[in-house]
Amino acid sequence: MGLLLPVAVLIIWFVVTSDESMPNYVLPSPKEFAIVFWNFIFGGADASPYSGKMLENLQVSALRVAKGFAFAGIVGIIGGFLTGRVPLLRKIVDPTVQALRSVPGIGYLPLGMVWFGVGEENTLFLISLAAFFPVYLNTQEGAARVPELYLRAGRMLGAERLTLFFTVIFPATFHNVVVGLRLALGISWAYLVLGEMTGVTKGIGAIMMDGRMLGHVDIVIACMVVIAVTGKLCDWILMAVCQVFAKRLMEENSDGR
Amino acid sequence: MEDKMYRVEHLKKTFQSANGNRVQVFHDLSMDIQKGKITAVLGPSGCGKSTLLNILARFESYESGTISIPNNVGVVFQSPALFPWLTVEQNVAYGLKRRGIRKKERKDQIVKYLQLVQLEEYAAYYPSELSGGMQQRVALARTLILHPEVLLMDEPFSALDPKLRVQMQQLTLELWKELGQTILIVTHDVEEALILADTIYVMEECPEGIRKKIEVPWQEKCDLIRNTKEFFELKNSLLNN
Ligand SMILES: Nc1ncnc2c1ncn2[C@@H]1O[C@H](COP(=O)(O)OP(=O)(O)OP(=O)(O)O)[C@@H](O)[C@H]1O
Ligand SMILES: [Mg+2]
Repeated sequence: MGLLLPVAVLIIWFVVTSDESMPNYVLPSPKEFAIVFWNFIFGGADASPYSGKMLENLQVSALRVAKGFAFAGIVGIIGGFLTGRVPLLRKIVDPTVQALRSVPGIGYLPLGMVWFGVGEENTLFLISLAAFFPVYLNTQEGAARVPELYLRAGRMLGAERLTLFFTVIFPATFHNVVVGLRLALGISWAYLVLGEMTGVTKGIGAIMMDGRMLGHVDIVIACMVVIAVTGKLCDWILMAVCQVFAKRLMEENSDGR
Repeated sequence: MEDKMYRVEHLKKTFQSANGNRVQVFHDLSMDIQKGKITAVLGPSGCGKSTLLNILARFESYESGTISIPNNVGVVFQSPALFPWLTVEQNVAYGLKRRGIRKKERKDQIVKYLQLVQLEEYAAYYPSELSGGMQQRVALARTLILHPEVLLMDEPFSALDPKLRVQMQQLTLELWKELGQTILIVTHDVEEALILADTIYVMEECPEGIRKKIEVPWQEKCDLIRNTKEFFELKNSLLNN
């Protein structure tokens, strides 16, 4: 059932590009697009500047996402747990964080350009900043809401301080952490494109800007597809990693059979 | 000579609630808890039973008074409070692990205690896959396996249906006969107190604390007591004031 709509779109796409009324530079036909896309990934078909360039640019982009996301994830998780569990800390830190958050991420673009120039660092800055909030907020929410009953049960059974954190607070919050990380990963890709469109030489976002300026709509759409697929793939990988991690975490406590 | 009693003397507790009101729960509460016996605390809702138990378990602070109960007590909460991310077996293992008991030994113990609460087939289940009564039995097992000298129970069976409640009371008695701990059980169920306890403390609306102490007259505890005239009379006298 989920395929119904994409197929319909494809058919409409065929129809509107079947005669000459739709110029190629606005929307290429599916067939032309498929050739360009193939060439973008594997190269060889013609000698366009994008031929076979997909992978190396995707690598650059993915690395940026990984860096920004990792930074946001680590700071967000640590910050979330600290402010979630220590009310005094939350009172001190939270108003500032909320104030920063009330500016939409894109509003930090000009500031980032002034501070970090256009390019690499600015992109990392935007990703880290935007991806930080969902991790921080979700972790904080989860950590603050660990039922008092679990904590009492843990203490009664002999857990204290760090042990209590790792065997009760962390597992009880884990679900929220995962939710935050997934949101953050999606946001990372969004801000990657934003950052890359402001002037880096390599990366999927850079190719999109390049394609737009040189009138290659086909390559712009191809980049969009690449980002969509990679984003979904990243989400799967993240979920899988989290699941393995959760399992290990729980087994820490288990007796095995 | 070793003291045969744990003593709670002149306990005073006031809550400072969020809206600034001060709620005095009790201003001078004293009670004795006989070692190796079952003591019940009976009282209406809101009289401070849970507060008392939480203080004895050192979950809650108190203003003044003395408590001679050791601070490593076992607690069975009103709701099972199992860790939902651990299986039954892992929940029962939790406390043993914190005590650094070796794996081999842990395993034997877990099997034994799961048998005791008749749940050995459910070792690999998660709490959410069990009924409330089964969960409460797991909670009992994970606490008893640590051999606490003192076991505190806060209305442990009040959420169960009457039949299961009776079963759990019998199970508690069996385990107590086998393991011989000191038990303090909080309840608002007069029958439950009469069935289980050697001594019953009746509490009043706060902040009056304990109104009276009743020694249960029969020696042998079993469910048949329910049908005796003595039980009936005691129950009525407790219900009527
Ligand atoms: N954390 C708290 N802050 C403020 N007041 C509290 C707090 N906990 C309990 N109280 C008050 O203390 C009194 C006794 O509460 P407690 O929970 O001990 O009653 P209880 O006898 O266990 O009642 P129940 O049978 O309904 O469980 C109540 O009046 C309640 O409002
Ligand atoms: Mg209570």
